[in-house]
Amino acid sequence: MAAPDELFCWEGDWGLPSVSTDCLVVLAYAQFAGAPLKLKKMSNPWRSPSGLLPTLRTNQKENLTRPSDIIIHLRKQKYNADLDLSAKEGADSLAFISLLEEKLKPALIYTFWVEPKNYVDVTRRWYADHMPFPLNFFLPGQMQRGQLERLRLLRGDESLESGEELEKELYRDATECLNLLSQRLGSHKFFFGDTPSSLDAFVFGHLAPVLRSKLPNGKLQQHLKTLENLSSFCSNVLLLYFPRDGREGGGLKASSPPPPPEGGDFDHVPNKRRKQVLSALAALGAMLSYALLTGMVSIQQEALEEPPDPEPIGGEGEAGEEIH
Amino acid sequence: MSIKLFITLVSTPWPESATLYQPLKEDQILLSDCASSLAVQAYLRMCGLPVQVVCRANAEYMSPSGKIPFIHVGNQVVSELGPIVQFTKAKGNSLSDGLDDIQRAEMKAYMELVNNMLLTAELYIQWCDDATAAEISRPRYSSPYSWPLSNILAYQKQWEVRRKMNAVGWGGKTLEQVYEDVNQCCQALSQRLGTQPYFFNKQPTELDALVFGHLFTILTTRLTSTELAERIKSYSNLLSFCRRIEQTYFEDKSS
Repeated sequence: MAAPDELFCWEGDWGLPSVSTDCLVVLAYAQFAGAPLKLKKMSNPWRSPSGLLPTLRTNQKENLTRPSDIIIHLRKQKYNADLDLSAKEGADSLAFISLLEEKLKPALIYTFWVEPKNYVDVTRRWYADHMPFPLNFFLPGQMQRGQLERLRLLRGDESLESGEELEKELYRDATECLNLLSQRLGSHKFFFGDTPSSLDAFVFGHLAPVLRSKLPNGKLQQHLKTLENLSSFCSNVLLLYFPRDGREGGGLKASSPPPPPEGGDFDHVPNKRRKQVLSALAALGAMLSYALLTGMVSIQQEALEEPPDPEPIGGEGEAGEEIH
Repeated sequence: MSIKLFITLVSTPWPESATLYQPLKEDQILLSDCASSLAVQAYLRMCGLPVQVVCRANAEYMSPSGKIPFIHVGNQVVSELGPIVQFTKAKGNSLSDGLDDIQRAEMKAYMELVNNMLLTAELYIQWCDDATAAEISRPRYSSPYSWPLSNILAYQKQWEVRRKMNAVGWGGKTLEQVYEDVNQCCQALSQRLGTQPYFFNKQPTELDALVFGHLFTILTTRLTSTELAERIKSYSNLLSFCRRIEQTYFEDKSS
């Protein structure tokens, strides 16, 4: 049996296996299809082979970054969560995934990356806290610019002002999309029968971050919470397929003490020890170089006694000791 | 929409002088715009609303959202199929009233499928495939203008579309992959249509108009290769669907 493919993805938080929608889609699909993947969770996209997360590194050393490409690859390897779907259900799957991409995704980009309060308090803070030094200074801003550009191109607008009009329009489309999804799901456990398929993976990946993160401006979140069947759908998937992560998010870590209830996530800085050591070293280095440069401390090099030379050297022989 | 606008819309009936604007048909219009325009025309015909088609070289710039086509009704200007459907619904003409909630959800989802896959594939083939862009798209798009404006506008449009392709994740796709996506989309549409005359039983809806617009245009437009048309021709129920709508709603044009 060939070695399992490696999946590089964003770290998890808020009780989710990963904070990024694309990563969640891939992780959920892999669980549904029973695909064995070697998971490498990280918060530094530069360490992934393609520079982006998620990335699947296949056995042929190919790097795939789009969720749809990754799912196609897994399907080719016979890990197919859509085997039980009829032809019409497969067609419906494709249609509803397109609905998600066109109507819900722009609103999600707006909620996490454009809306000022959400971006500063939640998104940027999370990425800055979790990324290693010095990436945490410029990478979140770069990611935001990328997402803004993406939103602008998706809508085909020349200019994009983050304001009431834009928010209303995007949320209107998104709430309609959520209502449609809720109607389609009805009271079933999954979208097509009792076993989950790729559509379930996509819906889970898009909805879970909205449900679980604590957003200061959470209009979309509130609307989603009113749609009971979608909320319980996400909780169900988490419970059945990601039990470990669900428990961790509940605040009962075995090794470390439970974090305080509300402001907890903001105080829990990962790699705390490493950051403390690095800051101490940086401070020490700065003080030493200042001392050296201003001359407060100087290193004097004492002339050590030179060992006697085996062959006599002309000039020195006369000035120094006379060696015969 | 504000309340005042809504009331104005509901009160005035559909005028005879409603016009639909699109780029010049013979020389300028491209595949994707022609498909969108035909979809709107089909929808309006299905609703029984008369509209005159007017071709203007600067239609794209006149449009409020920059997209083709747009209609000028009374003193309102509305562009793109989605808003136009809502506009006519506010005036009391709707094709999808008879659908239940689940069917409406499916209809909206399939419309997004066409927009997401077919329209994007059309844009890709027109502007990201070098052969087609050089032979067909750029010359046609810039035909009303003289040099050097023609070059500037054509390359600007190409650049903009390529950036959009990258943003939606189609930048890295090959032409073969795009044809395969079109095939998947057509397969899904064919499955959904089955043996019915229209997508939702006996009455056409905006989904039928949209699908007709795109498929008919692809089948009747000359591109650098016939691969795209071939993929659609392999689904016989889609072919007869197009023929049926053409005969029912567009035949009076030729007679």
